[in-house]
Amino acid sequence: MTVLTSHLKLLEAESIHIFREAAAQFRLPVLLYSIGKDSTVLLHLARKAFWPAKLPFPVLHVDTTWKFHDMIAFRDRTAKELGLDLIVHTNHDGLAKGINPFDHSPSVYTDIMKTQALRKALDDGGFDAAFGGARRDEEASRAKERVFSFRAPGHRWDPRLQRPEMWQLLNGRLGKDETVRIFPLSNWTEADVWRYITLEKLEVVPLYFAKERPVVERDGQLLLVDDERMRLKPGETPEMRKVRFRTLGCYPLSAAIESDAADLDAVVQETLTARVSERSGRLIDHDQDGAMEMKKREGYF
Amino acid sequence: MTLAALDEKVPEGTILAPDQKSEAMLRLLTCGSVDDGKSTLIGRLLWDAAGVTEDQRAAVMHASHARGVNGEKIDFSLLLDGLQAEREQGITIDIAWRYFETERRRFVIIDSPGHEQYTRNMATGASHADIAILLVDARHGVKRQTRRHAAICNLVGIKKVILAVNKMDQIDWSEEGYRAIEADFQKLAEKFSFAEITSIPVAALTGANVAARSAEMPWYSGPTLLDYLENVDPKTVAEDVPFRMPVQLVLRAADDFRGYAGTVTSGKITVGDRVVDARSGLGATLRRISTMSGDQPFATSGDAVTLVLDTDLDISRGAVLSEVKRRPVNADVIEARLVWLAETPFDPEAGYLLRSATDLTPVTSMSVSALVDFETLGSTPAHECNVNDIADCRILLGRATALDLFSELPFTGNFVLVNAIDGATVAGGVISWVQAGSAAADDVDENVLVLDRARLAGLCSDLGNSPADSTEFERRAQEVAILLRSAGVPVLIDTDQ
Repeated sequence: MTVLTSHLKLLEAESIHIFREAAAQFRLPVLLYSIGKDSTVLLHLARKAFWPAKLPFPVLHVDTTWKFHDMIAFRDRTAKELGLDLIVHTNHDGLAKGINPFDHSPSVYTDIMKTQALRKALDDGGFDAAFGGARRDEEASRAKERVFSFRAPGHRWDPRLQRPEMWQLLNGRLGKDETVRIFPLSNWTEADVWRYITLEKLEVVPLYFAKERPVVERDGQLLLVDDERMRLKPGETPEMRKVRFRTLGCYPLSAAIESDAADLDAVVQETLTARVSERSGRLIDHDQDGAMEMKKREGYF
Repeated sequence: MTLAALDEKVPEGTILAPDQKSEAMLRLLTCGSVDDGKSTLIGRLLWDAAGVTEDQRAAVMHASHARGVNGEKIDFSLLLDGLQAEREQGITIDIAWRYFETERRRFVIIDSPGHEQYTRNMATGASHADIAILLVDARHGVKRQTRRHAAICNLVGIKKVILAVNKMDQIDWSEEGYRAIEADFQKLAEKFSFAEITSIPVAALTGANVAARSAEMPWYSGPTLLDYLENVDPKTVAEDVPFRMPVQLVLRAADDFRGYAGTVTSGKITVGDRVVDARSGLGATLRRISTMSGDQPFATSGDAVTLVLDTDLDISRGAVLSEVKRRPVNADVIEARLVWLAETPFDPEAGYLLRSATDLTPVTSMSVSALVDFETLGSTPAHECNVNDIADCRILLGRATALDLFSELPFTGNFVLVNAIDGATVAGGVISWVQAGSAAADDVDENVLVLDRARLAGLCSDLGNSPADSTEFERRAQEVAILLRSAGVPVLIDTDQ
């Protein structure tokens, strides 16, 4: 049997504690499942928190319709295998208006297809709490966030008015029309997530592992040609390169890295020695300075 | 065995090589008055100890040139201040969590704001730390806000403190200047219960004594900041402490499975041990410790587990499972020291709830007896309490709940006060004295309205005697109690049937 060292064991126990505190205090929580490695760990910890009882809340995926095909296949298989109560929400108004990641800037596209879609899905479901897999080591504004992150009506986050959060005590009493975002992985790092996936033998989307894939190089970033909707610029021809992804999202907005890391061990090794931060492959974060904070204020995770 | 696991898989009893980082990460708070250079010091530490990736380095270099405050030099604080308002104003508003690993150890640095206005955020950060770096500007020495931060570190239970005397370059690396500040702090620290104080002269901007030894201060022979952090033993917990597990949830599943889910906050429990519910005094034998990775033979402090007992104790969230001998006190009067976090001052007429481990108990009445004076660090008698004050108070609870003294068992001896109306966390406190509850409603002053099953029969006519219904009864009674108290009616809740 695998023995987690005290470091990972403490992180695991802390996350389980957070899940249980939330389930006990909120009326109708939901788990935001984005299919990536962090969501995989998040879901696994949620199952541990309530085992042998079933997950006491549904799982929500906001589908922009531009996710990698491998992600959707993985999502549906996971939901079936684990018997999840999966809700898939798409902003059909946005689709009908033709919002897409090619004709619209990353900020407009993300706002309509992800942020607005998420707010709508949470409102429709009447959820008062939503678990997310965000980690504080990802980005500067996330480094500032509480575990129970309260949102004013309209899902707005005011980073200047965060609730004090002392010791292990998580106060989940909501004010009028408030909701809360909950981050059980707050204290995990990218390396912790990979080590944990290895030790717990969790399956992740194959896109994390290096393989020959058709890509084009654009503005110094490698983009995967995942289907016929990918718009090529004049002079661009897809070429096969051995690539993998450090983070997954919408394929036209997620840059691949060249890598030979084809299995978990190699990926962990590469992560531990990485000289560039994880989100550098997320094109939506670089749109403008403080981009993530602005998205968060509007209700993005 | 896989590569990644080499670092992580440690069979019990294995002796670790020095470079193996199996221990928990060190949680490090930085605090001190505004402008004493906290963010710069931590940015410097990250920069020098390789906690910064290349794209972050490039971004900081770029931003430093664009709007840095140090001319052409690198502005290390940009690594920490992640909010737009912080970057614009050049101040820290909320705590930032930064994770990094050196060859020897994992760290999380909790960088806290120095402004008095954001003390609530500093207190939040401090409550999660093992060790605090208290920064002082060598030119100005210990300030009022330095003393306030030291007092908060002491209140939340931090035992080891580093006094970092920063900006030594600004006083010409003067040993005399440094020693004066050191002596000044040692004197005021006599008021606290810190186990260890280590002072280090540093200059964050030049990096002197941060990761590299300073050539300018040959008179200093102690460790550099990084040396100290890589070697300090964060543990201060006593060995033999009684078992406690506050119940978070009751889990039910197929085959009549019924388990109490919670995190062990202290001590150890082994299958076959007797446990008691501290509130009712009822006991049972531990049959299984159930987790998704299989049953465990024992559980210790920090483990998140599910306990299956041989008899049903009929308890729910808020109960504390304890060993038989050394139990928590089932208390309805407590004395505590707290830090007031809300902008609205303490109001004896307002409805407050006491959030201890997993319980939420209505406060019947509360009074402040003294405030900490941040000049002398002594107590002065007072009846009011405002934002950022540290106060001694006495709280009468609407019903008894299982509590310990903070000095003995921190995680069953701490609490936050919650405003019953808007849910805000208004104070964080530690229990210094408890009085066992009289529990029986007969002893109660006749002016106090007792909310029991009989009195709430109409409101609760749909409720039976199941544990779920009892919890619901208590919830309704608490809501009614809040309304009555805000109308000035003293109330007690009696949940006995």
